[in-house]
Amino acid sequence: MKFTYNWIKDYVDIRLPPEKLAEKLTMAGLEVISLESKEGDCIFEVEITSNRPDWLNILGIAREIAAITGAKLKIKDERPGMQSKSTQALKTEVEDKKDCPLYTARIIRDIKVGLSPDWLRKRLESIGCRSVNNVVDITNYFLFETGEPLHAFDWDKISPDKIIVRRGKAGEKLTTIDGALRSIDCNTLVIADSLKPLALAGIMGGKESEVTYNTKNILLEAAVFNPILIRRTRQAHSIQSESSYRFERGVDLEAVKMASQKAGMLITELCKGRQHCFKSVGLKKAQKRDVILNTLNVEKVLGISIKGSETKEILSGLGFKLKIGKRGLLKVGIPSFRQDVCLEEDLIEEVARIFGYEHIPVSLPKILPPITIRDNRSLVSNIKNILVGLGLNEAITYSLDGSKTLQDFNPGIVAIELLNPLSREQEALRTTLIPGLTHAVANNLNQKQDCIALFEISHVFLKKDSSPYEELKLGIALTGAKRMFFNNAAIKDELGLLNLKGIAEEIFKRLKVQGYEFINQGQGGRAGIYINKEKTGYMEMLGQELLDKFGIKNKNVFMLEISLDKLISYARTEKKYVSLPKYPVITRDISFILQEKNSVKEVIVALKEKGWPLLRSIKVVDYYKGKQIPEGCRGLTIECNYGSNERTLTEEEVYSVHSRICLELKEKFDAVMR
Amino acid sequence: MDIEIILSQIEEEAKNIKSLEGIEQFRLKYLGRKGIVAQLTSTIPSLSCQERASFGQKVNSLKNKLAVLIEDKQKGIAGNKEDAQVSYCDIGMPGIAQEIGHLHPITQITEEVCSIFSRIGFSIVEGPEIESEYNNFTGLNIPLEHPSREAFDTFYLKDYPKMLLRSHTSPVQVRAMKAHKPPLAIIVPGKVYRPDAVDASHSFMFHQVEGFIVDKGIKFSDLKGVLELFAKTVFGDGIKMRFRPHFFPFTEPSAEVDISCIICKGKGCSVCGQKGWLEILGAGMIHPNVFKHVGIDSKRYTGFAFGMGIERIAMLKYGINDIRLFFENDVRFLKQF
Repeated sequence: MKFTYNWIKDYVDIRLPPEKLAEKLTMAGLEVISLESKEGDCIFEVEITSNRPDWLNILGIAREIAAITGAKLKIKDERPGMQSKSTQALKTEVEDKKDCPLYTARIIRDIKVGLSPDWLRKRLESIGCRSVNNVVDITNYFLFETGEPLHAFDWDKISPDKIIVRRGKAGEKLTTIDGALRSIDCNTLVIADSLKPLALAGIMGGKESEVTYNTKNILLEAAVFNPILIRRTRQAHSIQSESSYRFERGVDLEAVKMASQKAGMLITELCKGRQHCFKSVGLKKAQKRDVILNTLNVEKVLGISIKGSETKEILSGLGFKLKIGKRGLLKVGIPSFRQDVCLEEDLIEEVARIFGYEHIPVSLPKILPPITIRDNRSLVSNIKNILVGLGLNEAITYSLDGSKTLQDFNPGIVAIELLNPLSREQEALRTTLIPGLTHAVANNLNQKQDCIALFEISHVFLKKDSSPYEELKLGIALTGAKRMFFNNAAIKDELGLLNLKGIAEEIFKRLKVQGYEFINQGQGGRAGIYINKEKTGYMEMLGQELLDKFGIKNKNVFMLEISLDKLISYARTEKKYVSLPKYPVITRDISFILQEKNSVKEVIVALKEKGWPLLRSIKVVDYYKGKQIPEGCRGLTIECNYGSNERTLTEEEVYSVHSRICLELKEKFDAVMR
Repeated sequence: MDIEIILSQIEEEAKNIKSLEGIEQFRLKYLGRKGIVAQLTSTIPSLSCQERASFGQKVNSLKNKLAVLIEDKQKGIAGNKEDAQVSYCDIGMPGIAQEIGHLHPITQITEEVCSIFSRIGFSIVEGPEIESEYNNFTGLNIPLEHPSREAFDTFYLKDYPKMLLRSHTSPVQVRAMKAHKPPLAIIVPGKVYRPDAVDASHSFMFHQVEGFIVDKGIKFSDLKGVLELFAKTVFGDGIKMRFRPHFFPFTEPSAEVDISCIICKGKGCSVCGQKGWLEILGAGMIHPNVFKHVGIDSKRYTGFAFGMGIERIAMLKYGINDIRLFFENDVRFLKQF
């Protein structure tokens, strides 16, 4: 909302320069977001919180300034009697008082519609309101000055027998001032005559009854409408006006007649009309309310002792009516424009605001031993650090994606969709982290980054019977990673998936997860990850079809996704020391050629069994394919480590078990020694 | 063998040694297991008592002399070797090490914020991203059809009535206060969602950290103290802070918290919009209606709550000017943190 320094000065004696005033207002909760000097005036733009509709007008701001600065308020408490007599000539009818607690109409005759005088036009334009004609400008002027929206109808365009405030009827239509044809239903509140709707109540007038240069007689409306109804209609028709903005937040019932009166007087003055009649239907006064304030609670909540006299001074300065109740409690009468004040805490905030938050001291609470809540946070944090240690960068991608994209990556899984998505690309909650990571990979490839190693730990969202279900997942994306990670340059051709496997194993080892397995699936471009036979994740090389959709060319992209919720349930956090070997370990290498039909894992398992108990571990130290190796085979070098906990092994003992191992390789796996 | 003769020989012999291998041979010849000194020692038992003492002394002095000679020679040769065949390392060449990755800046700031509050005694609690309308709004004293909802436009779910993607981390207040009795001191990091079209300063997904305390005698001044401690830890002791009255449905009194602009130090610049202040937090005393919803007696307990946007803190702290950078995951961006 905008206001000008000079306009405010009409109502309060300001002694402060604009900059100082802006600072004071900001620190009282009326945040000044811009300040602009213009033609001898200064324009303030303030951000007004939704609880303070009383600040959406000049008088309200003047009242606040008087309270903050102690300056004198120049608002006369004008509730003058009617200058025009209420006659039977005008019939007004309100269908439901809940929809419209107060409706007033004033008929002004024989006016001359024309341009507004300079002072009026300038004032409106300075706060960003376009000048239309003197009548419309006057209604706008008092909307901004009093906060009470006014509307003028061309009286001669209305069937004169009665004005009705009612709900719309199915099939009714109205062209509003902005030229839009609007369908009306029973959730819409309209102003109507006996024949047709004339205006969307509290939001916008109709084109037909608009005041034009030819208008001679007007009906000036001032009313209070139900905020929720205004809000629904405004949303349904997606229009917003200065008027609906105020009705939605609540206007001061006791300011309605004053606004109508002031506008009526200025119209007779500037448009040469004469007041004909005035009609008011509904509540005359807002309901009286008191809130009890125990001044001792001010200190209890704020942490500073404020004198009772100062508290009272602040509250009465803001327009609250104070009475002393029992046991020193203050009975605070709430003015009609402060519908937001309902509780003692609201009054304490008023005191704090004017006293100044900056004058409240700083203290530290005594925090008792924290509640102990078991969660996965520290394990997740561990996993992130392991991954970073392995050279991966953490990504955070959007939780929303297109349903189609999610289907492509996760066939057969139906994603939860949004009722009100921003776009098709963000219409559903992701069921997998892989599409997001693929986006990230594609972005990086476009930036000519050729080594991409990313991970993300986030929730995916799944449908589960009656309620949605969130699962924490880890996703990893690798591409072009040939020269990073493991320094074993010999491992070349099966790079991607084995890198993913290595990363997963590192996590398993660090988290002491037992019983994990990687099992090839399909053509070998995909493998399942199992823990204790339970499927917890998978890894794969993305198919060309998917890559094409992301514009990824000539790159192999490897992805892993694993359920962290499941993985963490198998994690062991306790650690136990195992004594270091006392006796030396003796190492023997074997190089051999193995057919591809035999898996390396299968070989190692068999050899370990054969070599038990002296064979402590087997390590694959070289792995190759190439010219020297026959088709359908690969060359392997393994390192066998022999040792005992009881003694140093003799040459003969090692020889005997190692020979058994070599024999097993030859006999069971047809391996050819090299 | 005459020890005197040996003594006169060894110095001469040592002079001619030119290599480490030579020293080793020399050592083996005299001090080895079957070396001359060992042979001499082995003759001791056959000597008479009178002879033993003086012979033993001579053998010992021979042994000591040999040890000194060998050590000197080793030092000499090793030293020479270094001079002669030092391999030159151009230290201007790139260093060699395994490259490690980077945590996302959002994770780093979240951890920093959480650890500051953990140190004061807050527990970290997380909550689901899919929430009920009740926890997200009603329980927090945000009426459904009220302009105060405006600031919290929300994504609703199809097929699940009254379920939504939380628009702030505050629903965890409701959850935690229902699950645990006061005293409570809790910090809640997490993702939140609002249907804002994406631009340099808006994102439909972002991160918040929420914190709250409930106990007897918690005051607004405590809120000021805790947040000042926090802001000075994150942004440095030099910053100034101010609390401005504001409105949030779930706190009363409410405040917005600014820090003096970290770019211009409060003089006014483009980052702070010439104001000299940067808004970083919303806060206040927990509203009695929130307590009523979770069954805490607001006559006995008071509390404060605050919330901040992690992207906002990260952007200010690191000088990032576009929120989209956080979600594009450009490796060149990630590697800067």
